[in-house]
Amino acid sequence: MDFDSIAQQRATQYENMLRLIGRQRAPSEDAAPALAATRMRSVVNCDRIAEAYRADAKVAYVSEQFPTEIVFAAGVLPWNIESMSNMLAQSLDIDQVFRLTQERELSRDICSFLRGPFGMMLAECYPRPDFVLTNDQPCEGLLKTIFMSGKRYGVPTFALHTPNLLDQDALDYLVQQIEIMLTRIAGVFQSDPDPEFLRSSIVNSNRAREYYRKAALLLERHALPGVARELLEIFGMNYFGAAENIDLCKTLYEEAVVLAKAEAPTRPRVMWIGQTPGESDELLRHLGRSVDVLYWAPLWEANLMALDEEQPLRSIAERAIRYHWNAERMERDLDHISDAYQVEGYIIANTWGCRNMMAIGPTFRSLAARKRIKNLTISIDPVDRNNYAFPHIKNRVDAFLETLQ
Amino acid sequence: MITLGIDIGSLSTKSVLMENDEVVAFDVVLTGGTNRKAAETTFENVLAASGLTRGDVKFVVSTGYGRENLPFADKHVSEITCHGIGMHLRNPDIRTILEIGGQDSKAIRIDDGGRVEQFVMNDKCAAGCGRFLEVTARAMGIGLSELGEASALARNPLRISSTCAVFAETEIVSLVAVGTPVPDIVRAVHDSIAQRAVVLLRQVGISGPVGMSGGVALNSGVVRALEDKLQTSIYIVDNPQVRGAIGAAYIAQRLA
Ligand code: SF4
Repeated sequence: MDFDSIAQQRATQYENMLRLIGRQRAPSEDAAPALAATRMRSVVNCDRIAEAYRADAKVAYVSEQFPTEIVFAAGVLPWNIESMSNMLAQSLDIDQVFRLTQERELSRDICSFLRGPFGMMLAECYPRPDFVLTNDQPCEGLLKTIFMSGKRYGVPTFALHTPNLLDQDALDYLVQQIEIMLTRIAGVFQSDPDPEFLRSSIVNSNRAREYYRKAALLLERHALPGVARELLEIFGMNYFGAAENIDLCKTLYEEAVVLAKAEAPTRPRVMWIGQTPGESDELLRHLGRSVDVLYWAPLWEANLMALDEEQPLRSIAERAIRYHWNAERMERDLDHISDAYQVEGYIIANTWGCRNMMAIGPTFRSLAARKRIKNLTISIDPVDRNNYAFPHIKNRVDAFLETLQ
Repeated sequence: MITLGIDIGSLSTKSVLMENDEVVAFDVVLTGGTNRKAAETTFENVLAASGLTRGDVKFVVSTGYGRENLPFADKHVSEITCHGIGMHLRNPDIRTILEIGGQDSKAIRIDDGGRVEQFVMNDKCAAGCGRFLEVTARAMGIGLSELGEASALARNPLRISSTCAVFAETEIVSLVAVGTPVPDIVRAVHDSIAQRAVVLLRQVGISGPVGMSGGVALNSGVVRALEDKLQTSIYIVDNPQVRGAIGAAYIAQRLA
């Protein structure tokens, strides 16, 4: 596609996106963000959204947990198709987007985390990508969705195959793939990979990660209202490698230090396991009245590790393998985190249509039984409100909360 | 001291007056369209039966689906907690409870003090609950209370799908249309409810005798089907339909 056509298409897509953004959901009573980091994140998000629609922007669609450092190293904006649609669904009425997917006969049994991006593309709301990047963890459905997005726009699609086992062979194999990917990305813009860009992206990532890690560690010992959620949002946004993310994580950490000194009263801690609804969701607000909710994913060991600046690709590879849904590693991780954060209950949230969560749920339930941690499994749909309503599950949630008293 | 436990379920509303941990009076009415009205009615009924007045009642705990919609309740507690306590008061040896109510079924594991350790509930669909039995009775043109006896007369084993109450009703109507004997159909419905209940029970883990509460415990056909599948007898608590309200009244005694 030539430059003018891309410019025209992105202008239309931006208009469509603005129209969608105009379809606000009614604000909830607790909608006002309390932390400065939350407000800062909103600004960063607005900025990156607007930036991606500029005619001369270089945009790559990426999947969840893709190593964004290598995207920033190529001077490209990552557009996480899944988290972007989730973020929008938190505050916008995206029913029309889901209706479009049904009209195109996409089964409602597919999770809304995949139907959302599909719908966004069908509604011509996402900015046209220059290329598409993916890895095959954690979810095959996501891999297929992102392949389809590359096909839809007729742009190159590059995928990393991530081994599940972590050993030297697996690391060598994945490093080689990342090197090839970097060369191919540069090839799209008829250039060579620039080691200096990669270096600064890794440094940015590590600086942000250090603040992120310190905030997470503070949370082990202190009740820090809002911090667990903000860690989740920063994890989901996956902007590691960008300079703005350093300020964001630094602000969060500094606020966490202040909150730690304020010594908020401790309440029972419940670990949310699984995909999460927006923070103003009725269920989360209900839980928040009597317990402190922590989110597991942002506290994964893989999210706290720094990248080796001497061998960055190797540590990116290691992190990617650690992100894999390997039942044994996940169980060990949850076991450790449950102790470190003194967790008293698990909420295991099965997202409608997510076979991954349903398959791994029994592992968490048996860990809970072994550790005598109270647990509740619920079926929800954090994105598509047609699939779930809070009153369906309120009864069991209340009973679960009573077991913690 | 006198307390009230009131259990507002989807099908029926139950109330129990308790004095010094003893049940003074209880009552059951159909919930109908307005659960507040049902609650008021059953409250008045127990007061009339006991010769007490509202002013004598020191604390009210509401439970069941309509628990939050009761202006005169001092506290609301989930029926899972209430059934756990209600069963424990009657039989302290019970650790595993099956409670099948109007719109859901629950397996509950309690500790030696009647506190809930773990529970699971049926998901998404009314198949496996009291509502399913209601639908079945209606589709076959017999009374709800006749189902237990009818299934005892079953001769031929049948199978009815248990994933969806609406689809199951269609299946029942088709079986009726081809002249399948009613007892065989009723038995198949009971089997399908029992099958789902056993899965729930095994999920929480069965330890010791299984106790059953909730209105469906009064249906001898479901109980027989459960006992067949579990290969053990089930302890049916007396007045199973008001066990939740008894638990609520007891919690009220502690909180008053
Ligand atoms: S919700 Fe489950 S199926 Fe859907 S993208 Fe996420 S992991 Fe994949």
